[in-house]
Amino acid sequence: MNLKLVWIASSCQKQLMRIEAIGCEPLLLARFKYGNSHQLDVAREHGAYDALKKALDTMTPDDVINEVKKSSLRGRGGAGFPTGMKWSFVPKDSPKPKYVVCNADESEPGTFKDRYLMERDPHLLIEGMLLAAYALGSKTIYCYTRGEYRYLIEIMDRAIEEARAAGLVGNNILGSNFSCEVYTHTGAGAYICGEETALLNSLEGLRGHPRMKPPFPAVAGLYACPTVVNNVETFCAVPYIVTNGGEAYQKLGTEKSGGTKLWSVSGHVAYPGVYELPMGYDMEKFIFEDCGGIPNGKKLKAVIPGGSSVYIMPAGDIIGKNVKMDYEGLVAAGSMVGSGGFIVMDETVDVFESTKNLIEFYKHESCGWCTPCREGTDWLVKIFKRIARGEGRPEDAQLILDLCDNIEGKSFCPLGDAAAWPIQSAIKKFPEDFKKHLLPLAQAEAFSKATV
Amino acid sequence: MQELVKVTINGKDFQVAKGARLIDVCRENSFDIPSFCYYADLALQASCRMCLVRIEKMPKLQTSCTITCTDGMVVTTRSEEIEKAQRAMVEFLLANHPLDCPVCDRGGECELQEMAFDWGGLEERFFERKNYQPEKYLSPVVANDPQRCILCKRCTRVCDEWMGEDAIEAGGRGANTVIGTYGGWLNCSQCGNCIEVCPTGTLLDATYRHQARPWELAQTKSTCTFCSDGCQMSLGSRSGELMRAVARDRYVSGLNGEFLCIKGRFGHPFVNHEERLRTPMIRYKKGGKLIPATWDEAIRFTAERLDKVAEAHGPNSIGVVGSPRITNESLYALYKFATEVVGTENYTAADAFSLQPFFENLGGPLATHQDIRHAKTIVLIGGEPEELQPLTGKQIRQAVRNGGAKLIIINSREIRLKQQAAQFVHIRPGAEDAALLALVGAETDSLVARKLDVEASALEMMRKTLSETEGDLIFMFGGELSRAAQTVVAQLPYVFAAANRRVLLHPLPLYNNSIGAHDIMLMRNAKTASEMLDGAGEAVRAMYVAGSFLPEQMRGREEVLGKLDFLVVQELFETETTRFADVVLPAASFAESDGTFTNNDGFVQRVRQSIPPVHQAKQDWMITSMLAKELGVDFDFQMSASRIFEEIAQNVPPYEGLRYALLKNEAKPVQAKHRQAEQRDITKELDGVRLGVESLSETTEKLMGTPEVGHELFKPGTLTGKVPQFPLLAAGNPEPPTVAISPLYQITLDSALRRAEPVAGD
Amino acid sequence: MSQQFTPNNPLPQEAKVPDEIATFPPEVEAEMDAHLAKYPVKRSAILPLMFIVQRERGGYLDPPGVAYLADRLGLRITDIWEVATFYSMINTEPVGRHHIQICKTLSCKIMGEPEITEHVCRKLGIQPGETTADGRFSVSLVECLGSCGTAPMFQIGFDYHENLTVEKVDEILDALP
Ligand SMILES: Cc1cc2nc3c(=O)[nH]c(=O)nc-3n(C[C@H](O)[C@H](O)[C@H](O)COP(=O)(O)O)c2cc1C
Ligand code: SF4
Ligand code: FES
Repeated sequence: MNLKLVWIASSCQKQLMRIEAIGCEPLLLARFKYGNSHQLDVAREHGAYDALKKALDTMTPDDVINEVKKSSLRGRGGAGFPTGMKWSFVPKDSPKPKYVVCNADESEPGTFKDRYLMERDPHLLIEGMLLAAYALGSKTIYCYTRGEYRYLIEIMDRAIEEARAAGLVGNNILGSNFSCEVYTHTGAGAYICGEETALLNSLEGLRGHPRMKPPFPAVAGLYACPTVVNNVETFCAVPYIVTNGGEAYQKLGTEKSGGTKLWSVSGHVAYPGVYELPMGYDMEKFIFEDCGGIPNGKKLKAVIPGGSSVYIMPAGDIIGKNVKMDYEGLVAAGSMVGSGGFIVMDETVDVFESTKNLIEFYKHESCGWCTPCREGTDWLVKIFKRIARGEGRPEDAQLILDLCDNIEGKSFCPLGDAAAWPIQSAIKKFPEDFKKHLLPLAQAEAFSKATV
Repeated sequence: MQELVKVTINGKDFQVAKGARLIDVCRENSFDIPSFCYYADLALQASCRMCLVRIEKMPKLQTSCTITCTDGMVVTTRSEEIEKAQRAMVEFLLANHPLDCPVCDRGGECELQEMAFDWGGLEERFFERKNYQPEKYLSPVVANDPQRCILCKRCTRVCDEWMGEDAIEAGGRGANTVIGTYGGWLNCSQCGNCIEVCPTGTLLDATYRHQARPWELAQTKSTCTFCSDGCQMSLGSRSGELMRAVARDRYVSGLNGEFLCIKGRFGHPFVNHEERLRTPMIRYKKGGKLIPATWDEAIRFTAERLDKVAEAHGPNSIGVVGSPRITNESLYALYKFATEVVGTENYTAADAFSLQPFFENLGGPLATHQDIRHAKTIVLIGGEPEELQPLTGKQIRQAVRNGGAKLIIINSREIRLKQQAAQFVHIRPGAEDAALLALVGAETDSLVARKLDVEASALEMMRKTLSETEGDLIFMFGGELSRAAQTVVAQLPYVFAAANRRVLLHPLPLYNNSIGAHDIMLMRNAKTASEMLDGAGEAVRAMYVAGSFLPEQMRGREEVLGKLDFLVVQELFETETTRFADVVLPAASFAESDGTFTNNDGFVQRVRQSIPPVHQAKQDWMITSMLAKELGVDFDFQMSASRIFEEIAQNVPPYEGLRYALLKNEAKPVQAKHRQAEQRDITKELDGVRLGVESLSETTEKLMGTPEVGHELFKPGTLTGKVPQFPLLAAGNPEPPTVAISPLYQITLDSALRRAEPVAGD
Repeated sequence: MSQQFTPNNPLPQEAKVPDEIATFPPEVEAEMDAHLAKYPVKRSAILPLMFIVQRERGGYLDPPGVAYLADRLGLRITDIWEVATFYSMINTEPVGRHHIQICKTLSCKIMGEPEITEHVCRKLGIQPGETTADGRFSVSLVECLGSCGTAPMFQIGFDYHENLTVEKVDEILDALP
């Protein structure tokens, strides 16, 4: 059943942006169809906090963790780590307070799903976070939202107040002996603060540098206490799992990738938007049917399926290749799910330019802690700019690849890798786009002959 | 027992302590691992990514600085892959690094240079524009070239972890990260440790900037001449000029590691100062001028005059005064002069306070700086180590921060160490003695609490902490304690003796050789320098002073030296004491002398001659033995300091058996064996202390507020006052109109700045 | 003393060490108290407080504002500096009353950001990174703001303006006070 729901973003006129579920019942987007779904009364009318009630009444914290484990829910923030497993790492007997932190620092280029979840259904997130806190024995939840999303923080603050007034947040939630506080926290413009340990540093009021792992946050995170950090979408999936059981959720997707996933679609498609797909959906069908294909009669050139940090896929790897949109399927197709930021590019895009754009992003966002990422991204930007000025040399392709190789796997945190991967794949998959910017080979050879 | 585990490195098996850091293990076993950010005594950083190794069963290359050894670990430190990665890191670091090594002060001793040579690639692939950043000054003593920075952050870590100041931090993000401070001007204690640990030429000694190349300098290991901590340093000299003092571990590895304070690091330019006394001088007529003379004339003149005084008034009319600044050898020569040549009982050293009662009743070993670093409980009574014994201050801070030690401070002022204290007992000024009563027992609590103006519960808590903690317990005390109270402190090890802990003592005297002055017995007579001054012109008719009296000793009796029949002074500079001298003899500074200093750990450490004496100066002991010879006694020192030290070893019990050869290695300092006194009944002293406490006023106001950073360190004294940076800092370290030029050239040191009150002789 | 150089991205290090401390009306103080109450450690509130100080002090952390933060949070001014310069939304130098932040990352770029930027700049007569002489507008190019599906977009202050067209930009800018 395709539920077509079109929502017009704040000042959207030029083009429609769709938010809808395809190929499955809307799970995360279930309440989006109701007006004012961000209000507590509307949300509760349509099932908000039922899962919390169920958990508090009938389940032990371990039951909740077990259901999440059974659901094979994997982190939606990018790394795709199994959520149930992460939760079970939290030491049960620690005398220290435990913290639940929601990672709403959505800054990965091409990703904007968390934004709409928080804007339209903040109570789903609050419920998910409360369930996590209940499962982990935590009394404090921080929701770290990127600073640019100021209006979302305001929406969240209002929702938390509403929930508190209704006895859903604070002391003795729903009359049980479970008490928990939810606070919002604002970031201030730093992509690296999406990395969970950098986020914790930032939450402690420090510079947003990642921390050394181990110790992992589950053992020593916020204020050196056990902490679980999850993405907004991850938390939002938990109420469904608690209500319907982990297996039901898992069945919506594939065996290893349970449930549904939100994809933020942008770029050259007729209907950009946020789509909820069951795991394992076919990519070609998704682009050409559900997103309305490439507008203006242009041809598809490339797709970055999982946010800027993943390998770019040329059209040839998609069309007719039966690419499954889930963790395993995308790896098999040579890319990754990442954060689900699905950027579609048509034939007018010069992949050299798009890669330059992305490496500029990584240079700007590198935290500067470690050598390869700090110096490497700076240098790469310089090379790309030089090439863009028309001063490319044939050997630059090799140089760029070598620099990427020197960054990848040597950096302190995955941002370094994330900067290298798009470039490596772009050069590999779109050599033509690069070649035309580097001095034509023939010309170079003639030149060197002449100078011998 | 340490658990041992097996680690295989490059195919060889090693048994190492479980949890040992892999980088250390590799290095100890001669597998070279390059690193920038790893610094053994600082928090891990793992940002330079130079120390990569391959560990089996782990994905990616791992940083060996963060890996602790586990059983069965198989490590490869050298391979094509690793070398490529290391070459890449060097390449990245050099990409934006200005290759201006020929004009960089660090050129020749730069870790980046060495790393590029050892691990770098051969070609340069970077030819884009570098991100230019202008050079500037961060303070009168710290210069900064931000573009050379490789962001290893050793500087920010030492500033935070060693100094507790957090004055210098990283700002900006990504490739724009720079090391600096808000407003760009450093207001800190100016220790310069950030300069020392900087592997490149990013942070530089502004006093030495563009003065010399490292390879031109002769490096001489020596001991600092300022406070009683006795930091080891390497003096760099060129053609008879002292250029700098550093503690870089490539040159010297003493008890201080790479630590020095502002005085040690930047205070040395007094050595070649133009105001140094050049020749012996004689004042033929009281009130007349000092006229340059030859050494022969001056010695003959002095001997004749001393002879005359002794003949007329007896040997006790001649006073001999040493200085806690000069070497043990020079002090010994003076002692010998006083006792054997003159036969006077009036001899002493012009120190701020005497530790005689302490050493006479010493009931436990002296704490070394290592002990302090690893102590579990530290009690600090009076004193202000962060200003007066900065290394001790650093060790305390690290003991608390890295070792979780409990620090109890009893002080009349809210000194900066308060930040680290588990308990800070703020007392009335002058009431330090009373705190001792509380340490020893609860009987006097109500009296003590009243006199100190603290809650009785605070005293209870103090004793509770002491009885509950395990591990080393260290008592430190400053000069505020009375003689009776010193006796009590000295006996505390017996009071707190327990099976599971050592009780150590750490006196905080002010000068580099205060302890030596005691050991050499110059201060064993009851007469203090002040008392000696009081007798001037009466019982004491003539004086032989090596060094000068302290300003506070002269205070209120500025003219008293004029009453003497004869005064001979050996000094570096003209001072209040030389003002009345009939003969002034130019003495050699520590940089021009050979000998030993004894620090507050009781370590006897070598002072080595770095440059020949300036002008006509002579080492103090040489002058003394010349005088002795003229008076008919041959000391037979054979012009050799080691010869004197042999004699010291025979005659001074704590130094028994010591030889220069044994003191050679500054990394393994040798402690003098101070006699341990038996436990004794201290009721009398306690009564004395109690009587003193009872007479204390109960209306004295407490001193509020934390003393300003540098209020002692920056005070321009006889020595540091000669270094223009000190008056500038003492005047509040004004920010110059531009930081592009040295502040010294921009700010005229007007007379107002210079007039800042001199301190205790330095 | 002037020196010719082209710093990469000059850091606001020239700021003077503050000699006065900013003060705020009680309601602003109360707002800050509310943030401080959320955390067991005062320092955690540094970012929320910076936003408030920035709002109250004309759009950036001026030296008295920095002194205030240091005092309020029990930190050193250098601690404030190190954090403030890390985060791109904290301004350490004055910005225009309306700070137009145009997203220049991939999705916006391919959906027409260059036109929008050119138009905004031409209209205001300034380049990205500059402020108009009257201090009304600043323009910066920023990285992805999470509006890729409604590209191109810019944010003025905290307000999102999405699916921009040249006409819409005119409309929006003209309506600003
Ligand atoms: C450079 C970098 C940026 C990241 N940004 C985000 C982000 O914006 N939002 C997010 O939820 N996770 C982000 N992550 C992933 C987090 O580190 C972490 O894996 C995630 O918050 C865990 O939650 P999950 O298990 O629910 O995915 C980022 C990771 C890296 C390395
Ligand atoms: S890879 Fe290094 S410099 Fe880059 S963001 Fe991570 S820690 Fe910072
Ligand atoms: S020494 Fe290990 S990363 Fe720098």
